[in-house]
Parts: sequence; structure tokens; C-alpha cells
Amino acid sequence: MSMSMSGSGGTSRLSAHELTLAYDDRTVVHELELAVPDGRVTVIVGPNACGKSTTLRALGRLLKPKSGSVLLDGAELASIPTRKIAQSIGLLPQSPSAPEAITVADLVSRGRQPHQRWWQQWSEEDERAVTDAMARTDVTDLAERPVDELSGGQRQRVWIAMALAQETDLLLLDEPTTFLDIAHQVEVLDLVRRLNHDQGRTVVIVLHDLNQAARYADHLVAMKEGRIVAEGPPSEVVTADLVRQVFGLHSVVVPDPVTGSPLVVPGAPYHPTNGADAA
Amino acid sequence: MSGGVSTTTVERKTVGARAGVRPAGYSLVRTRFGARRVSFLLHRRAAVVAVVLVLLLCLSCVAYLSVGESFVAPAEVLKVILGQPSPDELVVGTLRLPRMVVGLLVGAAFGVSGALIQTVARNPLASPDIIGVTQGASVLTVFAMTYGVTSFTVLPYLSVTGGMLAAVLVYVFAWRGGLHATRFVLIGIGIAIALRSLTTLFMTKGDYLVAQQAQVWMTGSLNGRGWDEAAPLGWVLLILLPAVAWAAYAQRTVSLDDSTATALGVRLGHVRLGLVLLGVVLASVATGTAGPVDFVALLAPQIARRMTRTAQIPLLCSALLGAVIVVLADLLARKLFAPTELPVGVLTAAVGAPYLIWLIISSRTAGAGK
Repeated sequence: MSMSMSGSGGTSRLSAHELTLAYDDRTVVHELELAVPDGRVTVIVGPNACGKSTTLRALGRLLKPKSGSVLLDGAELASIPTRKIAQSIGLLPQSPSAPEAITVADLVSRGRQPHQRWWQQWSEEDERAVTDAMARTDVTDLAERPVDELSGGQRQRVWIAMALAQETDLLLLDEPTTFLDIAHQVEVLDLVRRLNHDQGRTVVIVLHDLNQAARYADHLVAMKEGRIVAEGPPSEVVTADLVRQVFGLHSVVVPDPVTGSPLVVPGAPYHPTNGADAA
Repeated sequence: MSGGVSTTTVERKTVGARAGVRPAGYSLVRTRFGARRVSFLLHRRAAVVAVVLVLLLCLSCVAYLSVGESFVAPAEVLKVILGQPSPDELVVGTLRLPRMVVGLLVGAAFGVSGALIQTVARNPLASPDIIGVTQGASVLTVFAMTYGVTSFTVLPYLSVTGGMLAAVLVYVFAWRGGLHATRFVLIGIGIAIALRSLTTLFMTKGDYLVAQQAQVWMTGSLNGRGWDEAAPLGWVLLILLPAVAWAAYAQRTVSLDDSTATALGVRLGHVRLGLVLLGVVLASVATGTAGPVDFVALLAPQIARRMTRTAQIPLLCSALLGAVIVVLADLLARKLFAPTELPVGVLTAAVGAPYLIWLIISSRTAGAGK
């Protein structure tokens, strides 16, 4: 099931064309071209402030393009009613916040919002989706607990459950592992891969850890200063050259002993005996 | 479920191995209108609190009608309310009842208004009396008073206009490609201060008697209010009832952060504008009727939420609690220093100010409510 070359063979429901994004007058992303391959896990990676989160927000219509466009099924995102978009694209922002004292089940249920009306606040479909989302993220036992009382890892699983309950074909996650310890990071990323595998959902994740990106991506997009530097399967994209170009870091790229995917090992750390000749 | 006749069911979530997950604490109310299925989520604790508050309100009302310059036995009060002949008809039915109804409606309007504006601003400090709405109403009213307008049938229109204008001003200044909650509150506080000094200016310029009358109005007073004021207020509230029902649902959708809410397909700008507009109209109408009865809009929603422990501020309970607060406060205002009657706003402020301080001190974090 190897993906042919640069992903141009597959289909893409969500894409960006000549996308330029700016905050006030500061342009953050320059004329970006990106086609998100359907049914795959795309990871956007890059150093801080490279515009990766900004790009994701634009893909999820949270940010209006300064110029260029984002297309969903061929239609410009800006022309589709936001509720309609929410039935196709789910997005979990970087630090979502919940109202005080809200319970887990209540928060996950909010994911059903785009499928509800004020006179139709709860359907069997809603119940099935919420139950399923909570089971998949393993938060069913926490259903009646207030979200504020959970640990970071549990809370993140609850937020992901909310996004899952939305039952969209496309799922965008903005640095879902940022505040988690290593075990929970792996847990969340595994969960995302499983969702992609079991349900064929298209996932786009923004990560800053290149090794995690290489491990979990089908399609890797490396960004620097608002532009895409390289994209494709991690095995082709991740090289010592790219790491130096994108992150400005000297490294050795070896095969990951577990997965065989590229593993970036940074150059020798500072040490009194070799400190003098460190670049 | 046979077609034709609508069947309504209320379901409690049953905890069992195969039971589906529903929002904890809610009961599902399902019915159908013809072919259309209708379902509502009802927060059980909020429903219980609402019933308790209705009982409390009834008790407060009976107490209000009984106590005064002359005491009327509750049994006689009930007779008057039920329309049976009673020797206390004049005191209870003509003097106390209309004033109580005004207080009740004003309290409910302030309660809902505070709940809506606090929800949109995501800040328990944001209420119409903090962000300039009641001050806007005051400015125009006092201005008119100093130019000799004293009719209580004209003044309410002026307050509504003033309140709306102030809100527009706040909105315009706070808008910068979007409505930022904190900026909205801070701009509101600034405008409130500016308007208050403008009011003071008019009062100093106006003649002594007018100033005194304006002063009483500005503390919020139910003195001399009757059916003439209750009827229009009642009508306005009745007309706004469907909007309030919509708001109760819409409130739920704006309680998450902006990004998440937008990602869930909520048209944040529209919903917020709708909620604020409704809140401003309610506060302005109430202010027009009884003057700015301070702190009710601030207090009622926060206490109500603490009672119901819901994720968002409960509208119905806020309305009921607002009504209870104003009725009880006016009862005390009439009785405490009898025969001198205090403006009801003095009482609500006396309770509200310490509560405000407590609210700030007890916030777990500096940014609580955000």
C-alpha cells in the first residue's frame, strides 16, 4: 500500500492554493500550495513560528486568507456556511478551554453541535456518536467527572473525543501533544493513527517534534518561514540536509530501531573536551 | 409511539453496561409534532432549583403584600390575589400588588440580562450595570429630567434609547475584526465611567429639585410604580420570551473558546450579537421602569449558577432569582426605616457590593471566568 511518489496520485478533498496568511500586516505564510491526501495522516512540522499552526487554522477556516484560497471539495471555504464546514472538518485548537465545572460527557456531547438544532438537541445518532467517541478514546469511565479535575493526558483525550464525536471525514489537530509527557504523547498519536486506520479518516496534525512526525506521518510537510520546504513520505523527506535546512541543526539520520522510519539524532552535545570545535 | 397524538417522554440516563453516554446530569425530553421529532436536554439540578426558586418567590410575594405600614394577614392577601372580596383590597391590591409586580418583572429582566452579557463576555463581572448600559440609560433620562420631562410614560423610552446607544458605543470601540471578551468589558467600564460623569454634569446644571428627583431615580426606586409601568414592561418581556428561549440554547454554543466554537460550526459573531442585543434591551427596559437597580444583574446569574452547578449560566433560574432579590430588597427598603422609604437600589447595592468584592477575592485565579 505504498504511496506513489509525492502523493499526487491520491485524491484530495482539502487543499490550499496560493494561500497567503497574515496577522494584521505581518505575513506569516507565503503563497502556500498544499493538497491534503485523503485517508492519510499528514503531519506538518517545522520550527517555532514557521506558520504551521497558522496554516492549520486556515485549513479549518479559523483564519481568513489574506489572498489565495482553501478549497473543500472544490468549493472555496469562505463560501461554505460554517455549520456545513463543521460537518466535514473537525478541528481541535492548540489550547481549547472548557467552561468551569463542565463534565466530560457534557463536553464530548458539544462535538455534536453541527448536527443539532435548538429543537433537536439530542438524537439517537448523537448518543451513538458520543458513546463511540468516548469508548475509542477510553474516557467512558470519566463520563461524570468535571473536566477541570482531570490530568493533562486525560483532558486531551476528552478533547479529542469531542472532536471525534463531530464525526467528520477530516480531522485537524493543532499540536495535540504539547502539554503531555512522553507516554501520553505516544498514546495520543497512536490513537490518531488507529482512528485513521479503522475509519479511514483524513488527519492533519501539527507537531514540532520531527521524530514523532516521521514516525506517525504518511505524508510529511516540512515548513520554514511560511513556506513548504519539502513534502512526501517521511522516508524520502527526512534527511540530515533537510534537518539542517529547516531546523538549523546538525544531525545524523538513522533508521528507527522499532519502525524503520527515519530517526534524527542531533550532533554531539556540548562537552568541555569537544566544546571548542562545536559549530 | 403511535403517530398523530404526540407522546412526550422524559428519560433519565440509566447507568448500565450497554447504556449510551449522554451529558451527565441532564434528562432527555422527547416528543414529536406530527412527523417532526423534537428533543430537549433538561438539566435535572437546574429544574429542581427552579422549582425551589418559584416557591421562594411565592413566599416573598406573600410576605411583600403582608408587610407594610399596616400588617395584612397572609390569608387575606391570598383572598385579594384570588379576587375575593376583602377589607384589605385597597392596601394589598391597589397599593402593594402593582409595585410588587413591577419589582418582580424588573428583577427578572435584570437577571436574564446579566446572565446573557456575562455569558458573552465570559466574565462574571460583566453585567449591564458595569459595562455602561444602565449608565447610558441614566444619562439620557437625567438629561431629559433636567429639561423638565418628568412623565414616567416618556422616560422609559429615553432610557431604552440611552442604554442601546451606550451598548452600540461599547460594541463599536471593542470591535476589532472580532469581539474580544476582555476588551469588551474594559471598554464598557471606561464608557460607564464617562457616562456617569456626564450624568453628574447634568445633575449639577439642573435645578435643585430636579437633581433630587433624578438622584432617587438613579439609585433605582420602585416608589410610585404601578400598573402603568408594569403593563408595558410585562408586554415587552412577553414579546421577548421566544428570544430568551433561543438564548438559553445559544448560550450553550458560545461557552467554549472562540476557536473550538467556530470549529463546531457556531456563527460566533451573529450569536454573540444576538445575545448582547437581547441583554441590552432587557436591561434598558428594566432601567427605564425602575432606574438602575444596581447589582441585581451582576448577582442573580452568579448565585443561580452556583446553585445549579451548570456549565453555563441558567437563564430561568437567573430570572427567578433576580425577581426574588428585588421583591425582598424592596420589602426591606419599605420596612427598614419606615416611614422613610429607601430606594430599592440602596438595598441591592448594600448586598451586592460586598458580594462583588467576595467574588473577586474568591476567584481561584486572576483570569477566572475566562
